[in-house]
Amino acid sequence: MTITAPEATRVSVRGRSLPPLVTGQELILIVMVAALWVLLAISNPGFLSPFSIQSMLWRLAPIGLIAIGMTLIIITSGIDISVAAILMVCAASIAKLTAEGGWPFWLAVLLSLVLGTAMGALNGLFISYGRVPAILITFGTANLFKFVGYRIFDSNVITGIPSERSILGPGPEGQVFGVPIAFLILVAALVFFWYYLRHFPGGRHFYAIGDDESAAALAGVNVRRRIFLVYLVTGLLVGLAAGITIGGGTANLDQTVGKGTELMAIAATVIGGTSILGGRGSVLGCVLGALLVQTVASGVTQLRLPSQLSDLFVGAFIIIAVGADILRRRNRRAEL
Amino acid sequence: MRAKTAGASMKAALDSGLDAARRQDWKRLILTNRTILMVALLIIVIVLFSSLSTAGLTLGSYNADYLAFSAINLVPMGMLAVAELFVIVSGAGGIDLSVGSVVTLAGMLFGFMYGVWNWPLPVALVLTVLFGSFCGLVNGVLVAYAGYPPLIVTLATYYAMWSIALTVNDQKPISTPPIQGMYEYSKKVELPAWFGGQSLPLIPLGIFLFLIPTIIIVWVLVAKTTYGKRLYAIGTNDVAASWAGINVKRTRAAAYVASGTIAGVVAIATVSQFASARPDSGVSGNGMALPAITIAVLGGVAIFGGIGTVLGVILAAMVITWLNAGILLAFQGNLSGQIQLLALGILLIGSALLNGFTNRRFAGAR
Repeated sequence: MTITAPEATRVSVRGRSLPPLVTGQELILIVMVAALWVLLAISNPGFLSPFSIQSMLWRLAPIGLIAIGMTLIIITSGIDISVAAILMVCAASIAKLTAEGGWPFWLAVLLSLVLGTAMGALNGLFISYGRVPAILITFGTANLFKFVGYRIFDSNVITGIPSERSILGPGPEGQVFGVPIAFLILVAALVFFWYYLRHFPGGRHFYAIGDDESAAALAGVNVRRRIFLVYLVTGLLVGLAAGITIGGGTANLDQTVGKGTELMAIAATVIGGTSILGGRGSVLGCVLGALLVQTVASGVTQLRLPSQLSDLFVGAFIIIAVGADILRRRNRRAEL
Repeated sequence: MRAKTAGASMKAALDSGLDAARRQDWKRLILTNRTILMVALLIIVIVLFSSLSTAGLTLGSYNADYLAFSAINLVPMGMLAVAELFVIVSGAGGIDLSVGSVVTLAGMLFGFMYGVWNWPLPVALVLTVLFGSFCGLVNGVLVAYAGYPPLIVTLATYYAMWSIALTVNDQKPISTPPIQGMYEYSKKVELPAWFGGQSLPLIPLGIFLFLIPTIIIVWVLVAKTTYGKRLYAIGTNDVAASWAGINVKRTRAAAYVASGTIAGVVAIATVSQFASARPDSGVSGNGMALPAITIAVLGGVAIFGGIGTVLGVILAAMVITWLNAGILLAFQGNLSGQIQLLALGILLIGSALLNGFTNRRFAGAR
C-alpha cells in the first residue's frame, strides 16, 4: 500500500491519452499548403510579396476564428449553421453604429462581442436545455438572426463606415511589425484554445461529451452546461470575426456579408481532421484547413480561372479529408 | 396503487383518472397526430389571411384564385420536402443539403440538351431525371457504402455541383426559344367540367404534371411496398434491421437515389416555371434545401429517422406555401421576404421542440 503507485499510473495514463502535438492530418495539410505556395510563387512571383502575404493572413483571421468555434462545437458532436447569420447581424450592427450612430469603432466591436455571445447563448439554450438536435435549431435561429440582420440593413447598403476601422484591417494602420493585428488575434485565440483543449479538464470534457454523452454525464461532466458554453463561445468568436470583417472591408457594407461562412467554417473544420461524429479534432488543424481553403481560393483567382471553381476544390477536399478520417478509424478498430 | 384506497374515494379517483386520461388522449391526438395538427394550422393560416384580406389590411385579396396562383410554389417545395423525407427517414443522421445544387445543375443540363443542342424533348427529360438519380447515387454510395456522414457528403456535393453549375455556362442563364416554350407546362389551366370546370379557380398545370404523380408514386413506395417497410426499419434501428435480413446499405443508398431523382424532376419543373435554366435557381436566396428540410420536420419527420408520413409532409408544404403567400400580401416590398424568413425560423424551432417533446412524452408523432 503505497501512495506513489496510483500516482504513477495516473501520470502514464495521462501521457497516453493525449494526442501527439502535431497529428498526421496536420502534417499533410502543412505539406499541401507549402506545396501550393511554392507552385503559386513559381507561377506568379508577386504571390510572395509582403502585401500579398499580409492580405492573405488578414483574410485567414475571420474564417479561422469562426472555424475554431465550429471545431469546439463539432468536437462535442454538434453543429452550428447559424454562424453566417450571427456574423451578418454583428457586422451590420458595427457598421450602423459607427457610420450613423457616431460610436467609436472599439465600442461597436465590444457591442458586437456582446451581441454574438447573446445569439450563441440562445442557440446553446435551445440545444442543451431544450434537448433538440443542433442542426435543426441552428437552421431555425439562422433564419431569425437573418431577419434581425435584414432589419438593421433596412434594405439599404450601409455607407460611410469611418476609417478608424482599419486598425483591424490588412493595411499599415492595422499592423504590428508588419503583421496584421487581426492575424495576431487569431494566433492568440488559437494558442489559448489549443492549450485549453489539451491541458484543462474543461477542454477534455468537450471530447468526452462528443465521444459518448451519457458516459461523460455518468463520469460527472455537467454535459448541458458544457454544451451551452461551446455555442456561447462560438457566438463570441463570430462577434470578433465581424469586427475584423468590417475592419478590412470598404466604407460600405451590403446585405451579402457573411454569406456562405457557415459552410466554409464546417469545411475548414473537417479538412483539419476534426471528426464530424465528435470526440476528436484540433483547433490547429482547422486553422490549417482554413489556410488551405484560402490558398486554393487565391490560387484559382491567380490562375485566372472562374472564382466559383474554388468551391469545387473545397468539395473535393472535404471528401478526401473525411475519407482519410474514416480510413484511420477503420485501422484503429483493426488494431484493437 | 389506487386499489388500496377505500370505496367511494376510490371511485372518485378512478373517475378523475379516466377524465385525465381522456384529456390526455385529446392532447395526445393533437400533439402526436401530425396530420390533425397540420390541418389545424392550415385552417388557421387560411382563415387568418382571408379575414385580414376581407378587412382590407392586405395589398391584394387572399382568395381562392390567389391560393391557386401561389400553389405553383408548392411544386418545388412539396417535392423536395418529400425527397428529404426519404433521406431523413433512412436514419444514421440522414439529410440532403445538396438538393438545391442538384436542381440547379440538372436544370442547366436540361437547358443545354433541349435548349442549345436541340435534342428531342423526351430524351432530354429522361436524361435530366437520370442525372438527378446519378447525383443521388453518388451521395448514397458515399453515405451507405463508404460510411461518410450524410451532412458532410451532401455539403461537399452541394459545393461541387453548385460550382460546376455556375461555371458551366459562365454564370449566364439559358433561355433559348425551346426553353421558353417550356413555360407551357407551368401555366394555369381550367379544370375539366366533370371536376367543377369554371366554378373552380385556374390551377397551375405543374401541380398535375409534376407534383401529384410524384406524391402518388412516393406514397405507394413508402407506405405500400416492402421497400418502404425496409426504409422505416433501417431508420429505426439499422442493427436490428440487418439481423432481420435487410440489406441496410442498399436500402439506405436507394433513399439518396430517390432524393436525387425527385430533385431531377424538380429541375424540369423549375426550368418550366421560370422559362429559363438559371445557374442559381436552386441555391439563390435561402436555397431550396433549407425550406425543404423545414417542411419535412414540420410535417412530423423525426430527424433521427424512422418516423414520418407523406401526408404530413404535403400538408406542411401547403401550410408553408400559403403562409408565405399570405405574408407576401400582408407586408410591403422587402419586408415580406424578411417576415417569411422569420416565420420559417419560428416554425422550424417550434416543430423541432414539439417533435422532441412528443418523442419523450408519447414516443413519437405519427
